[in-house]
Amino acid sequence: MSTAPSFRAIFEDRTTRDTLLAAVPATLAVALGVIPLCLLLIESFRPLVTTTNYLDVTKGIYVAVITQSLFVGVLLTVVCLAIAYPVTYWLANRCPARYRLPVLALLTLPLWLNYVVLNYTWVWLLAPDGVLNVALEWAGVVSKPLALLGRPFELPGVGLTVPSLSLLAGFIHIYLPYLLLTMYVSMERLDYRLVEAARDLGAGDFRVFRDVIVPETAAGAVAGLLIVYARIAGAYATPRILGSESNPMVAELITTQFYDVLDYPFASALSMSFLAIVVVGFAVGARVDNVQSELKRW
Amino acid sequence: MSELSLSAQVRSGFFQATTVVTFLFLYLPVVTIVYLSFSPGSQPSIPLGGISLKWYAGVLADARFVRGLATSAIIAIIAATVGTALGLLAARTITRSHLPRWVRSLFALAIAVPLFVPTVVLALGIGVTAGTVGIGFGFLPVVLGHLFWVLPFSTFLLTARYAELDDALEEAARDLGASGWTVFTTVTLPLLGPALVASVLFTFALSFNEFLITFFLAGSGVTTMPLELFGKVRVSATSFLNAASSIVLLISAAVALTGTYLRTPT
Repeated sequence: MSTAPSFRAIFEDRTTRDTLLAAVPATLAVALGVIPLCLLLIESFRPLVTTTNYLDVTKGIYVAVITQSLFVGVLLTVVCLAIAYPVTYWLANRCPARYRLPVLALLTLPLWLNYVVLNYTWVWLLAPDGVLNVALEWAGVVSKPLALLGRPFELPGVGLTVPSLSLLAGFIHIYLPYLLLTMYVSMERLDYRLVEAARDLGAGDFRVFRDVIVPETAAGAVAGLLIVYARIAGAYATPRILGSESNPMVAELITTQFYDVLDYPFASALSMSFLAIVVVGFAVGARVDNVQSELKRW
Repeated sequence: MSELSLSAQVRSGFFQATTVVTFLFLYLPVVTIVYLSFSPGSQPSIPLGGISLKWYAGVLADARFVRGLATSAIIAIIAATVGTALGLLAARTITRSHLPRWVRSLFALAIAVPLFVPTVVLALGIGVTAGTVGIGFGFLPVVLGHLFWVLPFSTFLLTARYAELDDALEEAARDLGASGWTVFTTVTLPLLGPALVASVLFTFALSFNEFLITFFLAGSGVTTMPLELFGKVRVSATSFLNAASSIVLLISAAVALTGTYLRTPT
């Protein structure tokens, strides 16, 4: 009881109060975010201080896996952006105003659903006896079921692989809603009068798109790209469920090192190398003023 | 003139068509899984030979799945309520506190770490930390991991709402002699009310469906619903799993749509 008044007195001071209130969430963020990242950095130079782990990353399949993961991330983000542009343009400019928010809510609802389940649904769509094959056979388009699951396509000469249809579909299903959300915000801010003015001056569809819509929305698109490509490149569950064993992604390697091989130092070096690439991407993107302010909105 | 309106029609049709195709793409798989969950046989064939609810009964009678569902729900309730309370403190710090600007920026950056750092890197970091520092694996580490994961969402949702609030209202209450606590409970909290409820619902959905951090922190003692599903999905595709998936989708969608409805300004 005797401490109560003094505690209250301390709390009266504005700066002390603000600091104490900030300390609770800050502790959580530091203890589970900042400290683990620092520990990973230290761990990656173990045992003692050695660069062996990083040298190991540059050997064997690891560079190829990281490159392939980044390729998948960029490829799919570009595909998602290509879909998000016309959809959000329609939503922001053509859709009747009272349907706008409900439609946006439905387009972004998958963000809140379980992505393990969402990935799993594609097995039923694309399997040999799945919906798509049954429909195609029924319509007489094919006589034998197509192998739609787990068949990646290797690009000759460059060492990169276009993932299987199932993995592409699974990734788009999960990450397209992110880009629909960010692109909608950009499209909504686009002054539609600019589009009309360009049309009045005789610009065709392509020129309107290239000279008006792209410049006005580029910052939002780049910010979305930076966030989403890194998430796809670092995804674990989706390639496990829909990908092929022969083409692992970087998160699968990290998880294996942690779970099965129990090689924490190497797993840390692998993670830090991946993180470094992602951070460099952000650093380059954030040098552009508009992109930086877009990133802050995330 | 007619040529112009034709091209405008084509253009309009193109935008509408991509939207419709996108809708089909996002929802056809979901509709499929729900449809197949009503199969009478354990391996559904298309079209279904009949309609049966027996797999739903089977899921709800399955001890492992029910336990996973209950564990996930308990963790999600803790993560949602505590995460929203912490988010409120964080949002207040970012928008209203008198700490120096650079402190507040650094604070916001630390909170935002899960949004920018790839989840697998964070999950490994937290897993390695739990293993080396000795917090260990299990229920409490998973709860802490989820709190950390939902904190940026509650914080930035509430920051946006805080920024819209007219701080003259709080000022007025203070001028009329209300203490800091009274201002908070009688002015600020009621104004933030809908945003707080939305935050609880959204963070519930996030935590309820979180997979990767849990995967690194659960150890052998705790099995949440997404872990349970992930284990099964990789082995077999059955009517049981379709019914279980449908239940999970239904819960998540109901929670998220309620949150969306509340967040939408009326």
